Amino acid sequence: MTAEAPLLDETRLPRLEAWIADKAGADRVTVVDEGRLSGGAISLNLAVTLEIEGGAFAGRHEAVLRTGSASGVSASLGKAEEGMVLRAAFAAGARAPEPLFISDPAAGDDALLGAPFYIMRRALGVAAGRKVVKAEQPQRELAREMGRQLGLIHSIKPGTAGLDFLPMPEPSPGLQCERDYREWMGRFAGTDPVLAYGLRWLTLYAPPAGEVVLCHRDYRTGNYMVDQGRLTAIIDWEFAGWSDPMEDLAWFCAASWRFGQAGREAGGLSDRADFYSGYEETAGRRVDQEAVAYWETAAYLRWAAVAIQQGMRHTSGTEPSIELALTGRMLPEIEQDLLRHLDSLDGRTLFGRTA
Amino acid sequence: MINDEPDARGLVSIALQTFRDSVLPAIPAERRFEALMIANALSIAERELAAKPEAALEAQIPQLCSDIDAGTYDAPERQADLRKVLWELTRARLAISNPRLLDPVPPGAA
Repeated sequence: MTAEAPLLDETRLPRLEAWIADKAGADRVTVVDEGRLSGGAISLNLAVTLEIEGGAFAGRHEAVLRTGSASGVSASLGKAEEGMVLRAAFAAGARAPEPLFISDPAAGDDALLGAPFYIMRRALGVAAGRKVVKAEQPQRELAREMGRQLGLIHSIKPGTAGLDFLPMPEPSPGLQCERDYREWMGRFAGTDPVLAYGLRWLTLYAPPAGEVVLCHRDYRTGNYMVDQGRLTAIIDWEFAGWSDPMEDLAWFCAASWRFGQAGREAGGLSDRADFYSGYEETAGRRVDQEAVAYWETAAYLRWAAVAIQQGMRHTSGTEPSIELALTGRMLPEIEQDLLRHLDSLDGRTLFGRTA
Repeated sequence: MINDEPDARGLVSIALQTFRDSVLPAIPAERRFEALMIANALSIAERELAAKPEAALEAQIPQLCSDIDAGTYDAPERQADLRKVLWELTRARLAISNPRLLDPVPPGAA
């Protein structure tokens, strides 16, 4: 993917318009390309306006076309699959951007733009972490709303139509994650003793297999949009998968995503209590603090594994980038957060075992 | 080998200083994020070139990793001892990658 070549050139644009017209049962579709949107180290997001004449979608729609080839980060879904996850989340009542049209690889749609893609409604607001957390007083209502939204997402269970492609964790979410992170880390798991210890810890204290739900798996400040203090959209669904619901709560509260508001443990917004109480309103289950403590350890290891992979995309030569290179050098700060967290658990009992 | 001066550390150091003092202020706003990343990368390189790696310690790391994998440190009190060593290693790396994040008082020293 080169920066200078437009995604929607004179060959692709009319083909895309015809494809949308077919999907929408429309007489005529015009796609206006409004340029790339920032954000996303992995995906390409294009602001587009769809002018649709006739059919169920008749009208003008401000939208985002999201595409991108498979990334170097192992866990990420293809764009068509991500679109299906978005569809399930939207149907569950969560504030996910409404997906309008999703490419179907089985129908050969990928050839249209050279990679799977989908088109969703565009949301207003900012996502940048530093801007979202900037507030004199704790943002209690926003924290509670983020909890409520997560509860809605977690109402999606295995067996939901359209999501059969998501693998089930075996033998339990904790042990599956330990195996995945070890694999993503590659040689680093054997040369970095902090990572080796963290992985060992995940095996020792893993919760027994329990209820599994759809987890967003990147549910954190920076990945939702806010307009005038209110949530407008939850974005970046490419890491979604079946897991222990407490995984998402721990990820949201991890020290890595507070953007300078270290004392506001729920994503730099407010206290955990606000986030947890919002969650319990909609989730129909209590927050399990032992499990959250376990999954916070997992959060640092997951972030470490992703940072390693981002760094390797640069170091391997496939995608030279100063941003990716510097992400690779974030490992010591992620590990410092991990060690702080494990020190804080010293002497506590987790799932029958003393830490 | 003939030693050319300034060495790599000296070159990176003066490049960073010049970049910060003379170039960065003239960078337009839309390129500022990249410019700050360049300054950050150079400052990490400068600190790494100035650091003295402890060869004896480095040599023990693979063995330490295998011992951790094998369960040698599983007992809670052994984990606590292990974490002290891991803190030292991590703080030494953080002193290179992002020294602003170092706590002034190391954990356990209070």
